[in-house]
Amino acid sequence: MNALINRLRHQPWIWSFLAAALVWIVTVTWLRGQGAGEILTAALSFATFSIIVGLGQMMVITTGPGNVDLSIPATITLAGVVAMKVMDTDNARLLIGILAALGVSLLAGIFNYALIRLLRMPPIIATLSSSFLILSTAISYGRGIRIKPPPMLDDFATFRLTGIPVATLFVLAVSFVMALVLRRTVYGRSVLAIGQNPRAAWLAGLKVDGVRFATYVLSGFLSGVCGIVLSGFSGGAALDMGEEFLLSSIAVVVIGGTSVAGGKANVPGIWGAALFLFLLVTMLNTFHASAGIRLIMTGLIIIAVIVIAGGDEQR
Amino acid sequence: MLKKTLACTIALAALMAAGTALADTKDKKIALSNNYAGNSWRQAMLKSWDKVTKKAVADGIVAAADPFTTSQNQVTEQAAQIQNLILQGYNAIVINAASPDALNGVVKQACDAGIVVVSFDGIVTEPCAWRIAVDFKAMGASEVEYLAKKMPDGGNLLEIRGLAGVFVDDEISKGINETAGKYSQFKIVGSVHGDWAQEVAQKAVAGILPSLPEVKAVVTQGGDGYGAAQAFAAAGRPTPLIIMGNRQDELQWWKEQKDKNGYETMSVSIAPGVSTLAFWVAQMILDGKQVPKDLTVPFLRIDQNNLEANLATTEKGGVANVEYSAEDAAKVVAGK
Repeated sequence: MNALINRLRHQPWIWSFLAAALVWIVTVTWLRGQGAGEILTAALSFATFSIIVGLGQMMVITTGPGNVDLSIPATITLAGVVAMKVMDTDNARLLIGILAALGVSLLAGIFNYALIRLLRMPPIIATLSSSFLILSTAISYGRGIRIKPPPMLDDFATFRLTGIPVATLFVLAVSFVMALVLRRTVYGRSVLAIGQNPRAAWLAGLKVDGVRFATYVLSGFLSGVCGIVLSGFSGGAALDMGEEFLLSSIAVVVIGGTSVAGGKANVPGIWGAALFLFLLVTMLNTFHASAGIRLIMTGLIIIAVIVIAGGDEQR
Repeated sequence: MLKKTLACTIALAALMAAGTALADTKDKKIALSNNYAGNSWRQAMLKSWDKVTKKAVADGIVAAADPFTTSQNQVTEQAAQIQNLILQGYNAIVINAASPDALNGVVKQACDAGIVVVSFDGIVTEPCAWRIAVDFKAMGASEVEYLAKKMPDGGNLLEIRGLAGVFVDDEISKGINETAGKYSQFKIVGSVHGDWAQEVAQKAVAGILPSLPEVKAVVTQGGDGYGAAQAFAAAGRPTPLIIMGNRQDELQWWKEQKDKNGYETMSVSIAPGVSTLAFWVAQMILDGKQVPKDLTVPFLRIDQNNLEANLATTEKGGVANVEYSAEDAAKVVAGK
């Protein structure tokens, strides 16, 4: 038993789950048990979206210091707008809509890396400036339009199996694949190696450029998946649908125990962190905390979790 | 010789008189400084501006009316943009400001350069500028007044607020809470921030809903009603009376419910066409007309009986809108 606890203590992801559980217990105690299950269901549905983009962001951050994808919100919006417009509420056009949306999000990823590699721009600047171009494309293509999703996409995004959203199960499968990729494939090991020391990785004969390219494209692709599912979930695409994911995509990665300095990734931690962030807002909302207090508390609690979770490394 | 000179003078005088009567502003340039374009309301605002001012330019009323939008919704960026507009020699700048006071410095610079500054929607407090404001507090109050009439028995209310820290959000919320305090039958059991966006509102409502008792009605700020409806449906709760905010998807949803089960509510917001009102006010000031510094625009309210008419004129994905003409602007200035 003690050995198990000791082993768990050294897992970087355990802290985000503990934080999520703690916040949930406090909320439910405050409510005297009312709505405990429903809160979890809601948390699972909404965490889904930050988890998808968090996985992409995690891979990008893991490739080393300075690597971050700030174009995620814009790509989500563009993919959502393209999907809804191509599908035009017609089930028969579902597949072509998904392909079109994934196509543009892959292009967004390719464009990002082109800026970084060919123009030698730092990733922060490159992805930020490309996000303006991507969002402008979405604005001129969509013109602020909100078209309803086709019924099949709507059903997929909102359907629940005994309280568990199907979309969450889908993302669970994606997460397993990502964890396997990270541990068992040449690509995954290369991402970790490059993040730890790009020069050593290069000297060892790894294709540094190819791996980084694939990583930015993967992040664009996952943003596209998020955009499609999110439009199905919230009844259409809107120009501001991606906005909240700029911060949350990075926050879930960091709180989840992935190293900001690169070279160390953690998939389960993203789940704990995404649930934690949603439950935290829910808790402060049920306490009727004012907006100011809520923001201060959110900041303080996030700092606390990171300090506790990171404390292990320094020892 | 004398005759010829006299004829010339008369002709010249006639020409000048005619000129004054037509427009003194035909060689004036007006710019729109806008801080944000990333939602349907702002898109409709820019479209209205485009439509009305293009016609005004074609008719020779003004020389130019160019819209400029900053990409980041940041004060510093908009301040730099306004400085550029001053240098480019615009005669008037119409502003939807990112902050009520942080732009005051640059607005003062513009005034000192002899430029007419008209702010609307997001107004500036600098005294030299004109303000076209909406009585947001009254807008919030009108929602509760409507509910008080509609539900004499009262019940629990859920409030969806806008973006925390923004003046508009504070005002609407103040109107809602003060008025709700007057009617003891209402109790606001929860309050969340929906940031005027469907997705955010849906998420916030879904989070707080399990903790709430039965909710009779939802008071909103616009752009968040459809998201709230989705959250209630997903939680398997009966749909409460949700006040809408004039977005097409909200009106469409209302119409569907109305046809299905006679659902009743109301919808209130500001028409994005208020940008065109600001344009005409700027033009009138350039024309030398006396215009009071503080103007108020009425908000646009949609009720059960004019829902269909408004929905028909609202484009898919847009916002119910009214565009102003020069005559409408003159009426607002006269205080009617």
